[in-house]
Amino acid sequence: MPSGFASPAQDWFEDRIDLNRHLIRDITSTYIVRVSGDAMEGAGISDGDELIVDRALQPRHGSVVIAVLDGELVIRRLSVTTSGTGSGTAVSLIAASPAYPPIAVPDPDDLVIWGVATRCLHHV
Amino acid sequence: MSEPDSRIPGSPGSPGVALVDVNNFYVSSERAFDPSLEGRPLVVLSNNDGCVITRSAEAKDLGVAMGAPWFQIADQARAWGLQVRSSNYELYGDMSSRVMEVLGRYTGNLEIYSIDEAFLTLNGTHPAQRRTGRDIKATVRRNTGLPVCVGIASTKTLAKLANRWAKGNQEFDGVCHWDLVPEAHRQSLLRRLKVTDVWGVGARTAARLNAIGIDSAQDLAAADPVMIRKRFSVVLMRTVLELQGTPCITSRESTGNEQVLYSRSFASPVTTLEAMHQALSVYAQGAASRLARKTLQGRVLTAFAATSPFSTGVKSSPSICIPLPVHTADPLELTRAAHRLLPLIEEGVPYIRAGVIVTDLQPAGSQSVLLTLGETPGNDTGPLLHDIGRRFGRAAIGLGHAGLRAGSDWTMKRDMLSPHYTTKWDELPVVKAR
Repeated sequence: MPSGFASPAQDWFEDRIDLNRHLIRDITSTYIVRVSGDAMEGAGISDGDELIVDRALQPRHGSVVIAVLDGELVIRRLSVTTSGTGSGTAVSLIAASPAYPPIAVPDPDDLVIWGVATRCLHHV
Repeated sequence: MSEPDSRIPGSPGSPGVALVDVNNFYVSSERAFDPSLEGRPLVVLSNNDGCVITRSAEAKDLGVAMGAPWFQIADQARAWGLQVRSSNYELYGDMSSRVMEVLGRYTGNLEIYSIDEAFLTLNGTHPAQRRTGRDIKATVRRNTGLPVCVGIASTKTLAKLANRWAKGNQEFDGVCHWDLVPEAHRQSLLRRLKVTDVWGVGARTAARLNAIGIDSAQDLAAADPVMIRKRFSVVLMRTVLELQGTPCITSRESTGNEQVLYSRSFASPVTTLEAMHQALSVYAQGAASRLARKTLQGRVLTAFAATSPFSTGVKSSPSICIPLPVHTADPLELTRAAHRLLPLIEEGVPYIRAGVIVTDLQPAGSQSVLLTLGETPGNDTGPLLHDIGRRFGRAAIGLGHAGLRAGSDWTMKRDMLSPHYTTKWDELPVVKAR
């Protein structure tokens, strides 16, 4: 902590914790969405949970993403793996529940990622 | 007006003006949260699901006319596969605020011009300005999902033309810098455009211009400004000068019946919340009386403030877009909405401009009015209601919601309304985990 000659009384005027400040990186690109279904149960994301989604983040291998599949917003974990020789990459969308098989993405250029989930507001 | 710029307008290094607007704003806002609408014909209906106010490109291709009454095309809509939405003012208002906040990050001088369009001052060389324009387009798209077009030039009037050009020509990929387009191309565009295609030239002025042989935008650009001032007005002379590349329009008050914009630069910077509170009150009331004069009511209000683009200190251009509960021209209602900007105002920051824009206008009188009778002295409300009822018909007045005709705004018909995705906790977008 920086020290100085500020009035000790200043320490009393502390703002309450503002969740917007701590949970939202950029207000213009942040959206709240609601989860429907149990495909992400294994990642701690349950049916009815709310997610904080940042549309401006670059999705990476391992990101929990909202993808556009057949006109619907679908939540999955993004998997980007390089094949042995490094000549190509395999992209797929993986559920966090064995009941849902991975969704292969034959041409990664066709994949539209709507946003990247940054927090889950899990109902406990 | 700002102090005259000694640098040569349009020359490399002089500041540029960018006009950024969202393509098919309402349609694009719907699509941003419902990807199934992508590529399908979609229209958004006006208040009370009256008529078509926005069309997607696919809907235009089907031949759906702007302003077409919904009841006339409802039957055909199904056969066409036409998607229809009621106006979701809450969603559009929030998306507008997001876009304006992104734009404000690129300039010290953001001038919001309507719910989905703004002028920005850009510095740097022409290619640098174009790079900024491309970055703006990419960032707005990434952060909001909304597509924008950017037109950049030395003047607002030319920026408008450049924007229009960027929209109509794939090769620009949505961003056009007027001064980076070869002269021959610019002249051929100006030749093709009618004078009414030029910002601020209305049909009446156009008819008078045509009478003296000024038909195309090119003719107008080549006209003698002095002659134009003598035979028309100073306002039209400014347009001519702007077409010739000399910036001289600082801000336009309003365009027709699409919106009412009331904005002023302060004589001296406003640095306190109290003064800003006052200024917003005055401007909101100014907008209200302008609406009243045109017998119009608005449904969405944007309030904004800005620091000087020339200031070396903090630059800030806060704005907020507020959907009003009903269509209104009520100064109290508008003032209350405008004051919602205040939490975004920083005490001590010198703001030099503020303003209020009211959009989504409709003719006044199509709404019911709530009177407060609590102040009525004595107990003569009953006879009063009776008299009014006898004079104007039974449905003309009633207590509370009773006795009123259908069509009042709190029971506004919005049968095809999409969720308030970003403003209501119960209506968040749903993501499928199945």
